[in-house]
Amino acid sequence: MVPRRTSMTGAAMRRTLSEKSWGYVLAAPAFILVGCLALAPIAAALWLSLRHRLPILAVDEFVGAANYLDLLSDDRFWAACRTTLYFTVLSVTIELVLGLGLALLLHGLTRRPSPSARIAQVVTILPWAVPTVVSAQIWLWLYQPDYGLLNYLLRQAGVVAASVDWLADPDWAIHAAIAMDVWKTTPFAALLLLAGLKAVPEDLYDAARIDGAGWWERFRMITLPLLMPIILITLVFRTMDAVRVFDAVYVLTGGGPGNATETLSIYAYKTLFQSLQFGYGSALATAMFVIAAALSTMYLLLLRRHLREVP
Amino acid sequence: MTARGWLIVWALSVTGCMQPGESPEPAATVLVFKHGRLSGDGEALSGLLREFEQRFPGVVVREELLPASSDRQHQYYAMNLDGGSAPFDLLGVDTIWVQEFAKAGWLSSLDDILLPAERDEFFPGPIEAATFEGRLYALPWYIDAGVLYYRRDLLERHGLDPPRTWPELVRAAKLVLDAERDGRLAGFVWQGKQYEGLICVAVEVLRSHGADLWTGDRDRAEAGLRFLREAISVHGITPLSASMADEESTRLMFGDGRALFMRNWPYAWALLQREGSPVRDKIGMAPLPSFPGQAGAPVLGGWLLAIPQNSPKREAAGKLIRFLTSLSAQRRIAMDLGYNPTRRALYAEQSLLKVRPLLKDLYPIFVSARPRPITPYYLALSQAAQPEVSAVVVGRKTPREALTAVRSQAERLLPKSAFPSKAKES
Amino acid sequence: MIRPTEERREAGSYSDFRATGLRWVLLAVVMLFCIGPLFWQAVTSVKPDADLVRLPPILPAEITATHYERVLLGSPLVQALANSVVVAAGATVVSIVVGSFCAFALARLPIAGKSIILGLILVTSMFPPIAVISPLYLVMRELGLRDTLMALSLTHAVYALPLAVWLLTSFIRQLPSELYYAARVDGCTPLRALLTVILPLARPGLAVAALLVFIFSWNEFMFALTLTASDATRTAPVAVALFPGLYEIPWGDLAAASLVVTLPVAGLALVFHRHIVAGLTAGSVKG
Repeated sequence: MVPRRTSMTGAAMRRTLSEKSWGYVLAAPAFILVGCLALAPIAAALWLSLRHRLPILAVDEFVGAANYLDLLSDDRFWAACRTTLYFTVLSVTIELVLGLGLALLLHGLTRRPSPSARIAQVVTILPWAVPTVVSAQIWLWLYQPDYGLLNYLLRQAGVVAASVDWLADPDWAIHAAIAMDVWKTTPFAALLLLAGLKAVPEDLYDAARIDGAGWWERFRMITLPLLMPIILITLVFRTMDAVRVFDAVYVLTGGGPGNATETLSIYAYKTLFQSLQFGYGSALATAMFVIAAALSTMYLLLLRRHLREVP
Repeated sequence: MTARGWLIVWALSVTGCMQPGESPEPAATVLVFKHGRLSGDGEALSGLLREFEQRFPGVVVREELLPASSDRQHQYYAMNLDGGSAPFDLLGVDTIWVQEFAKAGWLSSLDDILLPAERDEFFPGPIEAATFEGRLYALPWYIDAGVLYYRRDLLERHGLDPPRTWPELVRAAKLVLDAERDGRLAGFVWQGKQYEGLICVAVEVLRSHGADLWTGDRDRAEAGLRFLREAISVHGITPLSASMADEESTRLMFGDGRALFMRNWPYAWALLQREGSPVRDKIGMAPLPSFPGQAGAPVLGGWLLAIPQNSPKREAAGKLIRFLTSLSAQRRIAMDLGYNPTRRALYAEQSLLKVRPLLKDLYPIFVSARPRPITPYYLALSQAAQPEVSAVVVGRKTPREALTAVRSQAERLLPKSAFPSKAKES
Repeated sequence: MIRPTEERREAGSYSDFRATGLRWVLLAVVMLFCIGPLFWQAVTSVKPDADLVRLPPILPAEITATHYERVLLGSPLVQALANSVVVAAGATVVSIVVGSFCAFALARLPIAGKSIILGLILVTSMFPPIAVISPLYLVMRELGLRDTLMALSLTHAVYALPLAVWLLTSFIRQLPSELYYAARVDGCTPLRALLTVILPLARPGLAVAALLVFIFSWNEFMFALTLTASDATRTAPVAVALFPGLYEIPWGDLAAASLVVTLPVAGLALVFHRHIVAGLTAGSVKG
């Protein structure tokens, strides 16, 4: 498509919108949508967290920071924090590493279009394509001691003598949930990183090869720095999702045994919709938001120097 | 296609889908009946509703399903009933919610729909659970209670009778396990996952010892909790996987012939007796055992029907409630859906018993079934107790520690009702 | 165009062969890992009810189609799939269009407060949906949009927007700025420059973002459960959640349903594959 050549006289330029105005016009729809459907309900939730709202007792009063003060002295909250952070750190790290490996593998494979490349890419997407409620049921079925495939294979291979009660043991249960989350979400990380890998120009690699750089050097000097923005996005979004993890754990263990796998979102869910404490539950949700925000900010600050243009 | 083209296509298709269903004729009243998905033949309930529409022309009933999970339904109702203008006219409620919903002012009193004289026709348990401050807020729809399943063939082989006490059960299980020498056979399976089902089991065991989880003699209550733990750790009749077991996993285990005793709800019977089931015609059902010298009391389950407060279609909804709890509708629910009716008279009807012979055995169980604590704070109490009991099941806490924790939390939660102005959320 | 570097290597070198071999082994392991649980679901979905919990054998002696029959013919799952397609397609279109506009503005145009805008958009993804769902539902109910596909579609679009915006901002930023200025000098408005010059080059980013938004919307459960009420509007994950009865879970049916629900997305991934993999080899920048 050949753009029409018009001469932009001063008058003509003044008639059109300035770049800055265009910027606002283009960014506006996103902002409006997010404002109405996301920020407004979030503000409502924040407002609710400043109140005591107990429908059973017909209590509805403004109490300021009282919920947050209760939060700080709530042992169950801190235990849930620990569980959530453990889950987040472990699963995000594993997913990032595995995802990167998978992306590199697929990148090499898809350099030339081939049916095997296509199949490989589709197959790797499958775990991510399964709804979480469904995949949690699938893994619940897999983890069963008697008719679960996992235990059967382990017994057949001679790795264990008797079935492991993955979800029954308080120490193991959270790792079982992490394993399920890793299975499900590694494709997400792999896909993002693959797109990032595709955007790295081939000539850079060629030049480095001519200079005699080996695989690891090429990876460290070219791939990794250029991939940093995407790695950052993957980290940030995966962390936010991991901090808010709900269905994956709830369906598998319900937060048990003995609250060993109770994450913040499960605690918030139970507080909001079981005990019907709307104010305290909203405060718990806000605490989750603060944690997610803190972690994201930390990533952004730490990896700031790797970004060529910082936001 | 350009982005604009896609946007147009999408907008057209969505506008086309914006009106769900067909709009009824203006004269008809549409009753929205919100309930959880029922197992079994979905058509049976629809058939009942169509019969209602025939009897009361001018009223159309629209069913809106929720997932069967009690938690999800509770979440939905909490969100919708709070505003006061619920988008439905009739709802199915779990027995443990009625007090809570009634106190919150979410339900309409049904004293005029089921007169006090008629209440004896139903089982006492659900009526008790649905009465708040002297007024009835829900009508019993179907009923459930905990029962003991046992392998008749295994017990007969070793000359044993179905146990009446817990020590008998332990003895029988040990005897059979030793004799059978089957590494995959478990003695007694029950629901030990951290959820409401665990509280049902715990309450049943504790009540069969003359105590309760939140009230009653501490030593007896501790002994009850200890029994649950020792079944796993000392007697070895319950597998470690009990702490992740729910109704379905125990049903599947028992149904595959890998357990001698099972505590479960009556729903499992039909599935266990299905064509091709390995335990078909080898099983029996009995009331839950108790401790020697005590009377057992299974926990009451089941669901009821209620009408939201300030419903504009209360009269029509009232008719639907009366219809669904009438003798004929209950009979159909029992025959076609396989659910247990709440009207006592049906349990003596020979024609029904011929189709569902189990009802004869279930009748005394349902009569003796007692609800879980009848308080608006039951869910909060249960939420606080579940992790404690679960910790006992896995051996992380001693029964004494857990019981202390449960009771002190209950103390904190319960007296709030006396001082609403000083209510503290925590 | 520079030839793929593989062809430059000496043919038949041993390390080359070993590297390729290792790569295929790794790939096979990964495929097994990804597909294993789903394969087990496939096996479960054809097992007769009586055999569902028998292990051994892994593969059933006889297979049955009853689960698929019940799922496809006897349940509203097919309708739910159609609903899911509409909702997800709508969410994808809105999210990508709105998101790419916003990303372009953030990447190339001189507006003030970029960090604030990015931050606020990100806040959407940081706040747990469980706290937001109640106010959002009440708003939808007041607007009369409870139980409509449009409400759900828009909600999904909004909650997927942060990922789309951040991803596309990053991609657009990585494209050389000369492209944009050249287009402007040629007389394009910024919007035209975006549509005709920038977006075609950001294809891999667009394709990935579109795929991720689609999958997010397809899988999303909590909003879908709350904002829809009848068969006419229910989406696939909600329909699957309606399979279990009060205590009873029809495992065979559930396995069949979970596969049926996953396949459309797999098909879509095939379609998007071309665009994702296009990369720099197809739309390279010359000079």
